[in-house]
Amino acid sequence: MSFLTGPGREHLNGHKEETLHNEIVRVKPKKEVFVPLNNGSATKVDVYVNEGDKVFVGTLLARRNDHFNVPIYSPVSGVVGAKKNMMHSVLKPQEHLIIEDDGKYEKVESFKPLDYTVASREELVNFMMEAGIVGCGGAGFPSYLKYKNPVDINTLIINAVECEPYITSDYRFTKESLEDMLVGVRALLKMSTAPKAIIAIKKSKKEMCEQLEAVLKDDPSLSVFKTPDVYPMGWERTLVYEYCKKRYNRLPSEIGIIVNNVTTAIAFARALQYGEGIVEKVVTFSGDGLKTPTNVRVPFGTKVSEIVAQIGGYSSEDVMVIAGGPMMGKTIPTDEFVITNYSNAITILKNVKVEPMECMRCGRCNDACPAGLLPVRINNAEKMKDSDWMQKLRADQCIECGLCTYVCPSKIDVTEGVRRAKRVLALRKG
Amino acid sequence: MKFNFRVSPNYRSPLSTQRIMTELTIGIALVLAYSVFFYFTKFGTDYGLHALLMISTALGTAVGVEVLWALFYKKNIWRHLNTSFPWVTALLYVGMMGVNKPLYVIFIGSFIAIFIGKLVFGGFGHNIFNPAGVGRAVSVLSFGGFITNKFADVITGATPNQLMEKVGWVITDPKLATEFLDQFGGLWSMATGWYAGGLGETNTLLILAVGLYLGFRKIIDWRVPVVFLGSLFAFASILALIKGMGIWYPMFHLLTGGAMFGAIFMLTDPVTSPTSIPGRIIFAFGVAFLTFIIRVKGSLPEGVIRSILFMNMMTPLIDTALDGWTFEKTKKYAMTLATVFVLGFAGATAFGVQANYIAPVVETEPEVVINLKGEPLVVLAEAVSPTAFIVSETAEGDVTTIVVNINGYAFQSDHDDDPQPNTLEVKVNTATQTVESVAYVTFSDSPNIGDKTNSDVFLSQFAGLSIVDETASVDVVSGATVTSTSVIRAVRAAIAAALD
Repeated sequence: MSFLTGPGREHLNGHKEETLHNEIVRVKPKKEVFVPLNNGSATKVDVYVNEGDKVFVGTLLARRNDHFNVPIYSPVSGVVGAKKNMMHSVLKPQEHLIIEDDGKYEKVESFKPLDYTVASREELVNFMMEAGIVGCGGAGFPSYLKYKNPVDINTLIINAVECEPYITSDYRFTKESLEDMLVGVRALLKMSTAPKAIIAIKKSKKEMCEQLEAVLKDDPSLSVFKTPDVYPMGWERTLVYEYCKKRYNRLPSEIGIIVNNVTTAIAFARALQYGEGIVEKVVTFSGDGLKTPTNVRVPFGTKVSEIVAQIGGYSSEDVMVIAGGPMMGKTIPTDEFVITNYSNAITILKNVKVEPMECMRCGRCNDACPAGLLPVRINNAEKMKDSDWMQKLRADQCIECGLCTYVCPSKIDVTEGVRRAKRVLALRKG
Repeated sequence: MKFNFRVSPNYRSPLSTQRIMTELTIGIALVLAYSVFFYFTKFGTDYGLHALLMISTALGTAVGVEVLWALFYKKNIWRHLNTSFPWVTALLYVGMMGVNKPLYVIFIGSFIAIFIGKLVFGGFGHNIFNPAGVGRAVSVLSFGGFITNKFADVITGATPNQLMEKVGWVITDPKLATEFLDQFGGLWSMATGWYAGGLGETNTLLILAVGLYLGFRKIIDWRVPVVFLGSLFAFASILALIKGMGIWYPMFHLLTGGAMFGAIFMLTDPVTSPTSIPGRIIFAFGVAFLTFIIRVKGSLPEGVIRSILFMNMMTPLIDTALDGWTFEKTKKYAMTLATVFVLGFAGATAFGVQANYIAPVVETEPEVVINLKGEPLVVLAEAVSPTAFIVSETAEGDVTTIVVNINGYAFQSDHDDDPQPNTLEVKVNTATQTVESVAYVTFSDSPNIGDKTNSDVFLSQFAGLSIVDETASVDVVSGATVTSTSVIRAVRAAIAAALD
């Protein structure tokens, strides 16, 4: 019914060619790494090492220990230092554990590798939890939860859409780890109990589509699903709707679908084969604020400022550093923060002044909203401080994809208004 | 190094309101340019220049008012203009005015459009009514009859819709229909705007082309003109089917009365129309419905602008009614639209069947019956009147021809600001001592009254009248006593001159 509700998506200029065809560059921290002692918004973390301990790449450092269980493994070998409170990519100061990098990268096996072809489903799920595999699409959600109790799952969707502008880390990482990816996808498929898995990728990425089709052609349970080049195609709900034209209430498993990011599948494969958790990340450094946009492979915990310096530096004195893509990533007012184990991009843009003008009620935001909201109306309700109205407009359903601000011809921060309304509703609920 | 903070997202579409307005301005300007070309070509330089002057007046007034407003509120003038777009309103307004409008009407209309229509509501983005529509409504209601006399001859009330109004919006006879359309050169000529009307409203095809471009560029929402024109076409088709009219009838509805201009430029004004897609569809459908019933059953020939203004008023209501989460409400939207459409079509049909052809009243010349009153007036009873003025006297043998000016009825009535005397030629035969003939040379008196004397019934009485018999008399014309008397005075003066 997009005739009545609008397309809920928009083609964006992806600026992907800046990093799409260049190989990943390995970058090392200068002297020390800062391991964030948090997992997303959760900060309840048990630390297992003390200052002065010698650690190796893969040594268990800490474990998120509330209702989820996510271990954190050391990204470098060296000596554990003090804890330090510093800016984090969630735009809040967080506690970080300093590790002095000895530059040797001596490895230990974090856990025993597992042959997914012989392991049981339950063993695999437990293994995934132990390995600390988190969703690598940007949110850092613990992946094992999706596979705990699969009921009537008919499709596993491997999300390689990567719809945020500038970001190519999934693309490059997948391209350079095709074999690992296949292992990961097959293991995930086994865990999901689904009969088939599809790898969703934009049809505009022709080279990759052909490559994948060639690799998958012998396996009837795996296929490529080509999506239009629009934003936010990589959002779970938009992707699921594009695939089966169905919407769901909270989780896609309600309609028999599990969605996992392609980088997650690769990370899982590496854990299964080599007994290693997520200790390094492929991160896109792109945007017009950089001299040479590059995909880098770094131990997580490496400072953004060090990476930028090593890949050629800033192209402007006046920039915005965004943790993530320009649409959903948060602007961090410093470059003294680190790559986390779920980071996929740092976008650095020249600071261009934006002058908003009066809303002309054109409704472009309404037509574009992938969550089916009416952002202009929510903004009006927010200005009136009418929380009943905000509730009626379901501001709580906003995913902050940023498309309403993007399309606004009057350059109003529409998303920010909806975000405020969302906060009002969250407070009201208590 | 400076690291800035700004809320996400930090990525913007290249499409800005300024660019939307610029492309819209170019679209309207094209349509107006064609119109100016038309007036230069078909009616000559005077008309073309007047059209240009009208456009400049509207633009100048609109921009002037906004500049004053910006000065008054101590705003940056350039920034204010660049976020207020007075030229769009001005061009839209002048596009709806006929070329016979005096410039002061354009000035007032443009002022009202910008000031009352937009600024008093809080400026661009806050106005409830389409500003250009407000300007046009006020101009037509308050200054509808004010036309420049110089240009009155071309298009005094000859728009197709006004003529259609006179025949009740129904022409069932195909021959009459063809004749009717031929007044404007047929449907094709109407589609290409080769007739006089609103400056920008007539060239439907050009507006359609501009509309296609704007729709393709996503400057305007294609749904609005499609729903509006489609519904109007459907309503007219229903009426055409009921009354047995051809396809020309719904086409006529689309081609005239600024339907296309309204569809592309006026309905799509984002500020005054609903923000959601189902809202915009209801809005467009509502305008089509109102336009149709105002045309067919209302007392006004053109309904588009009035319907738009009315639906502008409904916009907050439509927006509120459709508020919610569209994923939850999709079914409700479909039901609402279906209900609105069914009611609309039922209503339009109910109104439509009541329309009937009104045969034009044929103006037959009333037969003037000239009766003599039966009250004889003695010709030589009185002395010669001082108002009689002998213009010339020529003798040829026995016959003397005297031309006399005499003040007629016009001098007594107050209908005429500048009364002129009548001139009569009286022939007197001095040998037989009789009047030979009396005839008017010029008749300048009040029509329908004095001209009854300009007839044989009255004037033949003078032939053979004795110029010496002081009792000779003639009968005066019934209903024209004063003029009859004036003729008698003239004859008396002529006789006196002849006998002199």
